[in-house]
Amino acid sequence: MYEIHSKTAPEADFAQVKRVEGFATIQADYPAYLSDESKLSAKPFEYLFFPKSESELAAVVKRLNQQKVPFTIAGARTGLVGGCVPQEGALISLEYLDKVMDVYRDVPSGEWRIKAQTSVSLKNLDGMLRAKQMPFLEQSPDELVRRHYAEFREDPEQYFYPPDPTEMSASLGGSVVTNASGARTFRYGPTRAWVRGMRVFLANGEYLDIPRGKYLSSPEGQFIVCDSKGDAAVIDIPTYPQPRTKCTAGLFSAPRMDLIDLFIGSEGVLGIVTSVDIALLRREPKVSIIQFVDSDEQAVQLADALRAEDRIQLDFLEFYSGNALNLLRRLQSEEPSTVGMPPIPESAEAAVFFEMSFDPHQENQDFSILEMVIRSCGANLERSWAGYESRELDRFKVFRHMLPETINSIIAERKKQYPGIHKLGTDMAVPDGHMSEMWDLYRSSCEGLQLEWCAFGHIGNNHVHVNILPKSLEELEKGMRLYEIFAQRAVSLGGSVSAEHGIGKIKAKFLKYMFTAEQIDQMRRIKKALDPQGLINPNDIFSVEVAA
Amino acid sequence: MKIVVCVKQVPEVTNVQVDPKTGTLIREGVKSILNPFCEYALDHAVRIKNSVPDVSIIVVTMGPTQARDVLIRCLELGADEGILITDRKFAGADTWATSWTLAEAIRKVIPDYDLVLAGKQAVDGDTAQVGPEIAEILGLAQITYGVDVTLSNNRRQVRVTVEVEKGYEVLETSLPALVTCSKGEVVRRAPSFKDVLNARKKPIRVVSADDLAIPEEQLGLQGSYTQVVKVFPPPAKKSNLLLQNLESVEAAREILAFLKEKRFVE
Repeated sequence: MYEIHSKTAPEADFAQVKRVEGFATIQADYPAYLSDESKLSAKPFEYLFFPKSESELAAVVKRLNQQKVPFTIAGARTGLVGGCVPQEGALISLEYLDKVMDVYRDVPSGEWRIKAQTSVSLKNLDGMLRAKQMPFLEQSPDELVRRHYAEFREDPEQYFYPPDPTEMSASLGGSVVTNASGARTFRYGPTRAWVRGMRVFLANGEYLDIPRGKYLSSPEGQFIVCDSKGDAAVIDIPTYPQPRTKCTAGLFSAPRMDLIDLFIGSEGVLGIVTSVDIALLRREPKVSIIQFVDSDEQAVQLADALRAEDRIQLDFLEFYSGNALNLLRRLQSEEPSTVGMPPIPESAEAAVFFEMSFDPHQENQDFSILEMVIRSCGANLERSWAGYESRELDRFKVFRHMLPETINSIIAERKKQYPGIHKLGTDMAVPDGHMSEMWDLYRSSCEGLQLEWCAFGHIGNNHVHVNILPKSLEELEKGMRLYEIFAQRAVSLGGSVSAEHGIGKIKAKFLKYMFTAEQIDQMRRIKKALDPQGLINPNDIFSVEVAA
Repeated sequence: MKIVVCVKQVPEVTNVQVDPKTGTLIREGVKSILNPFCEYALDHAVRIKNSVPDVSIIVVTMGPTQARDVLIRCLELGADEGILITDRKFAGADTWATSWTLAEAIRKVIPDYDLVLAGKQAVDGDTAQVGPEIAEILGLAQITYGVDVTLSNNRRQVRVTVEVEKGYEVLETSLPALVTCSKGEVVRRAPSFKDVLNARKKPIRVVSADDLAIPEEQLGLQGSYTQVVKVFPPPAKKSNLLLQNLESVEAAREILAFLKEKRFVE
């Protein structure tokens, strides 16, 4: 089926929706809404809305639509490309849509699923799943929901939601519209692989319910979206191929694609996702291992070797460059307990961090192949840290998150002296076999310009974040030029300019490296079909001036 | 030189819930871990081992068979041998019966010990009694609340930096002795994966009530002078006042009202 009909939500009284009016008031009393984790600054906008229900959201969207006021959507504001930083019009914060609505077993697939509103945070979701405690469901007026919840609690297994963007304060809906990935994408794929359904409000204030597998594009490559008045919008799906890597640049494309995939990773430019259905997976005991090595190059080599060994199944495979470890050492020297780990060994010049199945109670588990691979790269398991208790897994995860947090705080500090400075972290991924080449380019370029830099991230997906820490606007300029060189090389190797952060506002200019003008126009035509006035998330991905 | 470290398995979370009907702890879904203060005690033992030659660390725990897990954890972190004191006859032991059993095990199984280390308390019971009681039963000098433990006087004495109310004291005593440990500056160790794998090959001796030949009336519930009648969470502390999403004038009014209520301002 490729024709879908939007529905109208019962509309609340617009006047009752919580709001703040006037940029001066917003600036004074709600400064958190003027930026996100990218540290991009908002331009003046007039309204800040806090709808507490879909009905209130519908009322706001319809009013803004009638008045032709562009609006930006914000979830947890953890994005890194300024996607939810308004540049005009209004900001709609979805933070009150934060309830888990159901946990149910899908009978055909046998999998447990969660239906949740868009602003449930990934951290809270994880906590609820760990404890199997969802008080809101226990008190639900819907008997079916209470029964589902009781069944879930009776299931002796533990479950988790596999997508694991490092930023766990991100909202579920935000992670869906950005197709968030992270360390565990190495094994489980990005968020897209775990979304089973969604409700999305369109620019006209009506909504679509899209279960996965129901709406597939026609043989001619089209979807038809009909509204409640009988008007139809024709969507021609994009024809460009996707790179052979993780990718969040531009709209998704595939032959006979599922309509839900058009919205996943669309950065919210096509509609407002208010609830999602996601799949859960049975939790297994794991061990996290940080393997220290002698050089960045040895780490790249070890990552290649671990990925190539079919007999080893890793959940994630991450990287710390030598200068990234130095940054953490600096923190440890100031306050040993900040990092939460023992002193990083002096001899460690880089590290590879991975996780794999490990049952602490099972005797005679054989890890000889792992040892062999590590030894073959000149490293030694004795120079590692390992943890498998849940508190230890959490501690290792905090350690992993410590680095981007540290970089963010360094940038925030430097921004005080040079307000124009912002975070400059690369997000390119390249296909297997090209990481060494990419790494040589990163290192020689940054060292050649004598910039302060470090690298970390998802080496298992050939997706390392190079972070340049500019000390002046001149260095920022140099870094920006390097970024373009990196982006062009990644694309020339068949990779993506944005593997997980998205395009947003900050990286819009990089789209042209991956797509031709005609391909970008294909995206614009989809935007125009669903949002003819270009009101939703203006300036994200591409200009508000949609193609005619 | 032999250092004995007494350790305990405790629930992983500190905010364990209590069943309001039975008054007992709800252990469902709660994992067990090595008591953090026991881990600090072990940390001091490992530091000593790493700084002087010929030191072996023996960890001792009393508990159900699952308590083997904390011994393995200790073996990963640097202990050389584990002793699991387990028997149904030990069930229901209070601090005294526990101390008596641990002391007898140390006396009979590791008679040539030099130093006994223990956490200052367990985070589940918080009694801080077992370490001092073991010292009394074994007739040892004891130093409590240690945050730094080193050997001195040619390994004949132990020097301990101790937390006191307004700072630290340094105490010294002859060996054998018993020291209980606080957190101090310890950052928990992370074993290597090789350590994790090798720990599972290190010896763990299992000791029963019969092995210790303690009269039954001194064991478990029978040997206990105290009994837990009821367990309940402490009253929740009042949380901070957080004002959000208010107009500045409204927020100022709320803050002023709060300060007046507390009599901070007239």
